[in-house]
Amino acid sequence: MYIPRQTAAQTRRSFLRENPSVLWFMGLLGLFTLGVTILSEAFGIGVISTNLVKILGMTLCLCLIAIAMDVVWGYCGILSLGHFAFFGLGGYAIGMWLMYARTEIVIRDSLGRGTIPPTETEVSEAVAAQIFGVVGSSELPLIWSFAGSLPFQLAMVVLVPGLLALVFGWLAFRSRVTGVYLSILTQAMTLALSLYLFQNDTGLRGNNGLSGLQNIPGFLDVPQSIISVWFFWASSLALGAGYLLFAWLVSGKFGSVIRAIRDNEARVRFLGYNVEGYKLFVFTVTAIISGIAGALYYPQAGIINPAEIAPIASIYLAVWVAIGGRGRLYGAVIGAALVSLLSSWLTGGGAPNIDLGFFRIVWTDWWLVLLGLGFVLVTLFFPKGIGGLFDYLVRKS
Amino acid sequence: MRYVRHCNRELRAAYIELLKQDAGQGAEFPLPDLLVAKDMTMPRHALLATLALCLMFLWTPASVAAQSETPLQDVLQTVQEQVARPSRAQVAAVLDALQAADAPGTMEFLNRWAARDVFERPEDGLFFYAREGESRSLTLIDLDTGADVAEVTSRDVNQIRVNAGVRREIEGALVTFELLAPDRARRLAAVRTIARSPEAEHIPVLESALAEEQDGAVAERMARVLDLLNARFATDGAARVAAIEGLSGDITTEARRALNQILSTRSEFAPEIPEGVNVARIRTPGEDLDLIAAYARLAEADLVPPRQGRNAIRDALRANVVDGEVGGIPVHQLDTDEMRRAAYTALEEAGSVAPLVTQSDMEAAVAEYVFFDAYIEPDQAVTDAARASLDSTRTAISLWQFLGISLDALSLASIFFLAAIGLAITFGVMRVINMAHGEFIMMGAYTGYVVQTVIPNLTTSLIVALPLAFAVTFAAGVAMERLVIRHLYTRPLETLLATFGISIALQQLAKNIFGTQARPLTSPDWLAGAIQINDVVSVASIRVAIFVMAIGFLLLLLFILNRTRLGLEVRAVTQNPGMAASMGINPDRINMLTFGLGSGIAGVAGVSIGLVAQVTSEMGANYIVQSFMTVVVGGVGSVFGTLAGAGLIGALQKGIEWFNPANTLAAQTYMVLFIILFIQFRPKGIVALKGRAAGD
Repeated sequence: MYIPRQTAAQTRRSFLRENPSVLWFMGLLGLFTLGVTILSEAFGIGVISTNLVKILGMTLCLCLIAIAMDVVWGYCGILSLGHFAFFGLGGYAIGMWLMYARTEIVIRDSLGRGTIPPTETEVSEAVAAQIFGVVGSSELPLIWSFAGSLPFQLAMVVLVPGLLALVFGWLAFRSRVTGVYLSILTQAMTLALSLYLFQNDTGLRGNNGLSGLQNIPGFLDVPQSIISVWFFWASSLALGAGYLLFAWLVSGKFGSVIRAIRDNEARVRFLGYNVEGYKLFVFTVTAIISGIAGALYYPQAGIINPAEIAPIASIYLAVWVAIGGRGRLYGAVIGAALVSLLSSWLTGGGAPNIDLGFFRIVWTDWWLVLLGLGFVLVTLFFPKGIGGLFDYLVRKS
Repeated sequence: MRYVRHCNRELRAAYIELLKQDAGQGAEFPLPDLLVAKDMTMPRHALLATLALCLMFLWTPASVAAQSETPLQDVLQTVQEQVARPSRAQVAAVLDALQAADAPGTMEFLNRWAARDVFERPEDGLFFYAREGESRSLTLIDLDTGADVAEVTSRDVNQIRVNAGVRREIEGALVTFELLAPDRARRLAAVRTIARSPEAEHIPVLESALAEEQDGAVAERMARVLDLLNARFATDGAARVAAIEGLSGDITTEARRALNQILSTRSEFAPEIPEGVNVARIRTPGEDLDLIAAYARLAEADLVPPRQGRNAIRDALRANVVDGEVGGIPVHQLDTDEMRRAAYTALEEAGSVAPLVTQSDMEAAVAEYVFFDAYIEPDQAVTDAARASLDSTRTAISLWQFLGISLDALSLASIFFLAAIGLAITFGVMRVINMAHGEFIMMGAYTGYVVQTVIPNLTTSLIVALPLAFAVTFAAGVAMERLVIRHLYTRPLETLLATFGISIALQQLAKNIFGTQARPLTSPDWLAGAIQINDVVSVASIRVAIFVMAIGFLLLLLFILNRTRLGLEVRAVTQNPGMAASMGINPDRINMLTFGLGSGIAGVAGVSIGLVAQVTSEMGANYIVQSFMTVVVGGVGSVFGTLAGAGLIGALQKGIEWFNPANTLAAQTYMVLFIILFIQFRPKGIVALKGRAAGD
């Protein structure tokens, strides 16, 4: 049978035609970004406060890591409980530059007022004393050697999570640790990392974490309302690009192979595929995307500390994806956005408490109970999550 | 009231008259306190009755009074003059009298006497303690009863002034008193006091006490402390060396402290090592002594000009800015160390600053002197003996410390084992990932807490709490299995997520009910102490109890799994549910019971963990990852595997802490890393199941 070779244009058209959700998603994301910009304080009519813009921007970053999680879990079947660690590492990498560069500006400013200009050693010693005074040290740790260089730290955002995932994944997949054991192993990795960061003498300020990240060196005069919109745009762009990348990745032959690995790893191996290579690739790429998401998230959050990396955060990530619906990218986005926004609304005290007469529902106290039980129900009765509703709608029409 | 006091004075006068009459005939002195103690409050007829009583007392034969314990006041009155005006020559008489009578309160009197806290009333020569009241008045306190006697001004009484010589005598006597006390416990306590704050004066006292000591154990203890004292304070070098050699192999803290004190050094320097200095170690600048530090010490002694540090150079430059230039170099160029040094050199040539001390200057200056550590103890034989003695204990101490670490590791392993053993059943045998396992531990601990609030007796409440915690978590486990897990047996990863949902719900519920602050779970007194093996090793009793409990659970579980019908059925269902069902076993029921058993054990573990750790809503979450690792490392599906896993993890964590004791977090980090690597090499854990039982 003769199969005509497809041209590049045909491939692209068919990619979009086969995945109408991508177009829908891009359109909605664009509209959403435009809407938020128009409603923001900096560039529009000011209905949405700066704080809310930040929360929405952070939510977009969470959506980005959620689709990464969806690819590694929903498509490839690796329930990684370590992706939030990669997210945190990305945040730490960019946070080091933000903190160092800003402190350096402040220090140079104050030292420069003296009669004699400061030497480089004096500046870096003063910066170190300023940053590490809180953990009782005044020396700049080795890992901060290039913290003043933005390109270096940007490279670290990609390299550190990527290399960690590569090494860890290589070790784990090579010895064929699968399923639940892999989950526990990734969880152990996350625990080790957070315990490591919790120590004061590991050079990342222990449980104080890095703070003041919302001030961008070089733009210290720009008001937060404008910076928040910039970061919102960046997050939106990153989410769009990430979505496109992953949608493309999972739509072709590669996508079929990793889905096959999810469904029956042994059979794929017997068919001659290098299962470990595929898994390692997916694990590493998603880790890098998670790192980038973290690097965008923490300047908006303003602070990062080791508690963010604790194993429980990664489990929450799995919860979002499961609620949104595994195995479809938009499901992950819906889950992450819905649960994290609801969570910050209900625990932030924004939601009105409900008085039942005999009992008063205080949302800050009961939200987690509700989330936990809701999650059990979703797992039991709607294994496809919220995304499953779309199947239902599509089939009906 | 004034009338009463007046009346009282008359009574006292009469009484003193009587005393004077009797004193010549050597009669025992009666209790004066009955008369004077309650004078502010006693109604008049009561006073009269008291007087009558006293008078009766006075005429009783002397021997009768002597048989009862002689009051201190009376003893003191026999040596009134010497007490009131103490001198070094006469104080011995007082001490002899006091020792002979051994009246209650003697110790306190001696202490307060030495502290100038005893007052004499000139009218009657009686002694009192006093307490300062308002407006400089003194409240006199009776020596024997401790009751308030009268309020006087400081002019009415004489404070007894004890000079330094007398005080030293008294303090020596205090120790002697205790060392010769008839009560064994008091003698031991006195020896302990000496060991805690040893002084040279104690040597003769202790020697004489040792000569009279009858009790073998006490004598041994005295001899040991005498060695300690001699080692440090004996005047004769040979005696000291002998005493120090006697201490070799002694691993008690006091012995090691004494030896270390002998070996204490001070850092010195001199052009050459002076005669008669007991040198511990010569330091070479640049190797075991920082060159800059060595130079700084010379500068401190004004032997060399001080070295200008970076800050000093900067300040000197700052002080010499002329028209925006320093030494001909524009100020804005002074942002490197080289330029600053150049500017400084220019200033130096102009003579406006002190010459710069260079590296070679420092080396030359330091080379002139020898830097060394000298023992404060001048006698080299003594320090050599002490060094040898201390070295001889080193091996023993390392061994004991190793034992201590092993015990710590064992105790940690039993906690891990307790936390993980329930999981070994649910995860290991049933392959169910129960993320809520930690919350079952937490439920057990809170059950213990609630029981403790209801039943105040700690022992009873513990006995009640253990089965109750089992019941509560058993029920919770069965409910969870029925409602959730049963539906997910074919989807293990989703069990993980669903049980995680339950876990966060339970955690938040506990927070809502009990609040966020930690609740205490107090162990009963018989578990509160520690078993002290020696000065190096001690084990908290509660940890021993937990170890025993862990062993108990291990045996119980092995018994249930291997020797009971239930265990047989559990193993059958685990290996092949279909086949088991066709043999008439109801897999549903077995799964339910197994899960309940695992959860119940978690509850009991919760009570015991609550006794050593804080009970909070997050306590379970702290153990869950470790518990999973314990099971995975040990080998899934095997109770012995879990035991091995707990042992390995416990030993590992304590072993790493041994190298870096200050940092538990680092130990945990490295432990987790090790486990990750370990699983690379033995993915199925230490005890790997083989054949069909392996399940895959």
